[in-house]
Amino acid sequence: MTRNVAIVGGGQANWGERDATWKDLAQEGGKATFDAVPGVDPDDIEGLFVGAVQPERFANQTHVAPMVAELLGIEVDEMIARTELACASGQAALRYAWLAIAAGQLDVAMVLGVEKMNLGREHMPEVQSSMANVLDREFDGANGLAAPPFFAWYAQRHMHEFGTTREQLSLVAAKNKTNASRTDFAQFQSTVDPDEVTDSPEIAPPLHLYDCSGITDGAAGAILMSEAKAREVTDTAAWITGSGQSTMAGNSINNLPSFSGWPQARKASQNAYDQAGIDDPLAEIDVAEVHDCFSISEIIEYEELGFAERGEGGQFIEDGRSHLDGDVAVNPRGGLLGCGHPLGATGVSQALEITQQFQGDVTNDRQVDDATTGLIHNLSGSGSVHSVMVLDRDPQ
Amino acid sequence: MTDTSTDDEREQVSVPSEIEFPRLLDFYDLQTADQTQIHEFYDNLRAGQFTTTRCTECDAIHFPPRIVCPECTGDALEYVDLPHDGELFAFSAVRGGLPLGLREHEVPYVVGVVDLGPVQLSGRIDDAAYSDLEIGDPVSLKIVDIDGPTDDDRVFYRFEPQ
Ligand SMILES: [Zn+2]
Repeated sequence: MTRNVAIVGGGQANWGERDATWKDLAQEGGKATFDAVPGVDPDDIEGLFVGAVQPERFANQTHVAPMVAELLGIEVDEMIARTELACASGQAALRYAWLAIAAGQLDVAMVLGVEKMNLGREHMPEVQSSMANVLDREFDGANGLAAPPFFAWYAQRHMHEFGTTREQLSLVAAKNKTNASRTDFAQFQSTVDPDEVTDSPEIAPPLHLYDCSGITDGAAGAILMSEAKAREVTDTAAWITGSGQSTMAGNSINNLPSFSGWPQARKASQNAYDQAGIDDPLAEIDVAEVHDCFSISEIIEYEELGFAERGEGGQFIEDGRSHLDGDVAVNPRGGLLGCGHPLGATGVSQALEITQQFQGDVTNDRQVDDATTGLIHNLSGSGSVHSVMVLDRDPQ
Repeated sequence: MTDTSTDDEREQVSVPSEIEFPRLLDFYDLQTADQTQIHEFYDNLRAGQFTTTRCTECDAIHFPPRIVCPECTGDALEYVDLPHDGELFAFSAVRGGLPLGLREHEVPYVVGVVDLGPVQLSGRIDDAAYSDLEIGDPVSLKIVDIDGPTDDDRVFYRFEPQ
């Protein structure tokens, strides 16, 4: 890449079951973002990238990027688009903004992820139906296959092949939910112990309620800048030093490479590590925001992102190595399990957490000591795409 | 604000309080030749045969069936039979959170990955409780008729323990 690009800051609306519309959430997320970055206002934004997965189904609204531009008073002169990559839509938006700035097309971009998902109890079947559309609807969604049973297969196979235990799944969920109790905007604000996870109602065996991320309304925004511009507004930022994605050309069930692992995550992270000059991810990455849509996901990600050997993800959490004071602090924000998962906003919020960890702005005793290198990871759909971005406190 | 009108002066605009289940929210696709170029898959299924496409240029077997081979981009594809018997590779059960388009009485239902040899596909496992099943259990394909918001005769496949 020809130019360094920094995430200089941003903010979140409150996440949860909100008495708010899609447009309300977009405005709240936008305001929180501009409030958090003094020296940047809507007139400075040259490119706007909006991560949103299902506004058509959840809010009966399409063409949402220009709607956000109007709501936030942004006159875009260079680039505007919505990104849709299911659960990785926020990271996809970050990636487009990064490349546009790196290529010299623009200097200042806003990324805003927004999702409205809670439509009231009586409309939950519509929400679940829309979630099943994320898979190949004709051959997989038609089987009543939604996210919980799909990820339950991975838990079952990982237990079967590697001896991963129910207790290890509970340790992941308890860690992340407890971390979220110290995150102001998070959907879930209570500390949870591992027994409470195991004792929570069964959703899709072997997964229980607390193994699953929530149905969440939320928004998160971030400002990305070229190096010259970033230096004008902040001393410390998160510089994007590597980014990778991998699909392996499989999306429907027959064409996925594994039901106990994600070789796509291994490929995507290896590409990102190569760009960022990382040889030993466990030694070099201090803080990681990974896609814990379900507890099993984080265990597999320890392995595929290079923190643990294949099959040893369960032991990795059991040994406490992913805790705030462990070898790599995984999901200090509280992850999807604790913060909730407003689909389009998640990746943006993960990147903000890393930025704030570098800036030393993290409140409530969840600051990771001297964090200088971080990572965000999202999987999307049937895990058919994995997206990884490496961030560093110093530009390359 | 000044009140410039009263309720009884207002014109009422009405919207329907109920609509019939719209076809576009129905999980099952349309299956006939005027709707889909893989209608032969559904025609075969309706006749009791489970088939998929094979590329006559590179021999690749696809599932789901295609009209273009993703291995070689050839479009000379033929339909070949798939086995009806296979093994349960992974499974879970849906206890709640039923998607729109399924019926209340269907919960709980088991959904799994079935290994048929040439292909490994998702499917509903009927007539079995989660607790009765184990990885490796033999299962067989069954064909079901779909009664839904279209006049077409539609079919789909499921599995059941042998
Ligand atoms: Zn071919």
